[in-house]
Amino acid sequence: MLCVIPCLAAWPALLYAQAGTPDYAPAEKRAIARHGPWPQPMLPDASNRVSGNADAIALGRALFFDARLSSKGDMVCATCHQPGRAFTDGRDRAHGRERLNRNTPGLWNTGLGHWFGWDGGSDSLWSFALRPILNPLELGATASHVAQLLRADATYVCLHRNAFGTAPRAVPAATRAVPAGPRAVKDASRAATAAPSSADERVLVDAAKALAAFVETLQSGKSAFDDLHDALARGDMAAAARYPENARRGLRLFAGRGQCAVCHFGPNFSNGEFHEIGIPHLLAPGRVDAGRQGGIRRVRADQFNRLGGFSDDASRASGSRTRHLAESHATFGQFKTPSLRNVELTAPYMHNGSLATLRDVVRHYSELPEDRLHQDGEALLKPLRLTESESDDLVAFLRTLTSQSFPDVSAAPVACRPRQ
Amino acid sequence: MMTAVWRGACLWVALLACGMSIAAWAQCGPAPGALRAEGREAVVLFQPRPGPIKVGELFALDVVVCSKHGEARALTVDATMPEHKHGMNYKPVVKRGAAGAAGAFAVTGFMFHMPGRWQLVFDVDTSAGRERVLHDVTIE
Repeated sequence: MLCVIPCLAAWPALLYAQAGTPDYAPAEKRAIARHGPWPQPMLPDASNRVSGNADAIALGRALFFDARLSSKGDMVCATCHQPGRAFTDGRDRAHGRERLNRNTPGLWNTGLGHWFGWDGGSDSLWSFALRPILNPLELGATASHVAQLLRADATYVCLHRNAFGTAPRAVPAATRAVPAGPRAVKDASRAATAAPSSADERVLVDAAKALAAFVETLQSGKSAFDDLHDALARGDMAAAARYPENARRGLRLFAGRGQCAVCHFGPNFSNGEFHEIGIPHLLAPGRVDAGRQGGIRRVRADQFNRLGGFSDDASRASGSRTRHLAESHATFGQFKTPSLRNVELTAPYMHNGSLATLRDVVRHYSELPEDRLHQDGEALLKPLRLTESESDDLVAFLRTLTSQSFPDVSAAPVACRPRQ
Repeated sequence: MMTAVWRGACLWVALLACGMSIAAWAQCGPAPGALRAEGREAVVLFQPRPGPIKVGELFALDVVVCSKHGEARALTVDATMPEHKHGMNYKPVVKRGAAGAAGAFAVTGFMFHMPGRWQLVFDVDTSAGRERVLHDVTIE
């Protein structure tokens, strides 16, 4: 999402160096400095005791590409989150067992966020990982199915023991598994509340925490924009001059008149919060996507949230955001501000994939349909009325946010050596 | 964490040293490091924890309220972005401060999710009624 406001003549354009000059004015440098440095440190997740654990990362990586995780053995996480497509699928809306309601979000740098999914219906990466595993329209697995996989595979048992300190828990005879099937659960939250806590559920959560540990490692490398950021930080104007002039003009629009950086804030180009930007949320006649409003209800009801018994954070301090969530009618139709890093690689765009190209996204904000905006929404959203060349410049800037290197995350044989 | 706790404790000590414990208007003097918001009938001294406030980061406020009408019976606090016509995505929770610190409150659960001008809104309830005290904060 690009947050925009109308032409603010008051924007201190005069503080910026004029295009074509090699120097950067202080205000322009400050605007650039806010989006770095990169990479950012990935802090361990207090709610996940195996966050950052090498064996958990290996287990999560193996599970990410393991079709046995799905109920029918025919689908993997990477079916939708394809590494070669910046962990998206290139479709407007995800396709699991059938067409889903939302665009597949990319996974690069996801661990830097606080809310997960377009509606932020999960407050941790591990609870987010549970949703596609249990959703009948995606992997469609059950807690018992996942637990059996982890107990039966000797390598997984070894990695689990190394990471968690024990082998996957055995099944008490009386424990009932989470049901599956078309009449069963629609998401992890409902799945979780459909059955009492069990050894199977514990193993399921362990699997999700291992997947989260793996996803936390998905951090992309520096981009051309980061090279500019770093050059200005060390005062290397010769290196800064290598940044393309059209991208620099687009950057000025982004941080200045466009006010895009108000929401696409900080090193990850996202404030991690939720906004309504005039993208239709009607799914079908009589069906709407409530966005953040539904996400708040989901995360509050989720027994797998940071305040629940599956969190490894004994103090529950990491659940402060969840504890203080405010629900209001203004949250209806809001969706998460996505990171713009590698945005060039994640088309199509918006929560429903309704905009095919970056140029379409820029056009959306240029011609913003104000009649579609929520009355209680962001008052600064106004049509930008960009010229063709300004639109080109903005797209050129966005393309400089593409990382020049990515770690290898393809499927690979996994091995385990038991720790003493 | 300890630093934040220590700074909060320092505010209480500073405020108490200024005579804030009896929360009387005449004794609501300046406190080192604390921000000050003045209404007609009430003064609010507060300090963010941790400070300074950063976009997207949760913070708390240590607050002391002085009123011409005696100790504040209750306090509610919120924040809005006037130009954007919206508030926060989080709901702060107000708790009374430590025993002996009359007019003292600890408010948790603030988060400013955008840079720009935010307006803190303190609603102070005293025996004379409710007064709204405002204070602008601009963050980059």
